[in-house]
Amino acid sequence: MFRKIFLSCAAGLLAVLGASSANAEDGGLNDMQIAHIAYVAGQIDIQYANIALERSHNTDVRAFAETMLRDHKSVNDAALALLEKLGASPEDNPTSQSLQASAAAKRAELKALKGAAFDRAYAANELAYHQFVNKTVEGTFIPAAQNAEFKDLLGVALATFKVHEGHAEALVGKLGK
Amino acid sequence: MASLGVKVMRPGLWIGLGVMIAGGVLSLATSAAAETHVVEMRGFEFFPAEVNVAIGDTIVWVNKDVVPHTATAGDGAWDSGLMETGDEFSLVVEDTVNVGDYVCTFHPTMVGVISVD
Ligand SMILES: [Cu+2]
Repeated sequence: MFRKIFLSCAAGLLAVLGASSANAEDGGLNDMQIAHIAYVAGQIDIQYANIALERSHNTDVRAFAETMLRDHKSVNDAALALLEKLGASPEDNPTSQSLQASAAAKRAELKALKGAAFDRAYAANELAYHQFVNKTVEGTFIPAAQNAEFKDLLGVALATFKVHEGHAEALVGKLGK
Repeated sequence: MASLGVKVMRPGLWIGLGVMIAGGVLSLATSAAAETHVVEMRGFEFFPAEVNVAIGDTIVWVNKDVVPHTATAGDGAWDSGLMETGDEFSLVVEDTVNVGDYVCTFHPTMVGVISVD
């Protein structure tokens, strides 16, 4: 069960990554599109965290989910504040849309689980999701970003998500197979 | 050192009182020279990670990150609670009860140490 979920998750992420690279080749993502994708990516993790708080009774899982809610909200608020200051607004795009579609599928999978099986699937998804997001932010978004302040904020976001990735990895280890 | 009088009752209090009574003059001297040490929460680390203090000194944590943090004693003896960006939290190091390892309860990899001369 665990392996199946992980594989389907990885496939979804690869599809998104494919969409992202294709877009970049067609002239690249602009800052407003990157901002939209990064914001959506944060919202998606907040939604996963809300599911965990609804379903999990595990203290470590709940503490991790609370941190995801708190941190992703803070980073997204900082992004909105910067966009407002720059007089810009996020621009919807196919990458954001495919991210949202694969996240909806993942939410349905998670909601079908409970107890220890849910905890392990949530933790494994958090690890895979943060690995994927970090790779994209570091390898694609930061190099592509044009505005210096926006690039800096992406760096702050990456530092935050890397801490989450480490935290998720520890959680996966603690929950075991 | 008047703040020692309002310290919550803990085993360490008796050590603290003993130090105060035995070394009253020294305590006053220490108090007069009390320093403030600033620890920044920055990039998911405490800077500096180890702060060396004297009894009576004050430690001030400042959150320089975008996300909230805490500074919380390993034994739970003191806790800043949630610190938003820009928030500060002060701790007067009253006696040895307060020293040792501390963490951010939100980010378990964020650890710091208070050591006393
Ligand atoms: Cu923290």
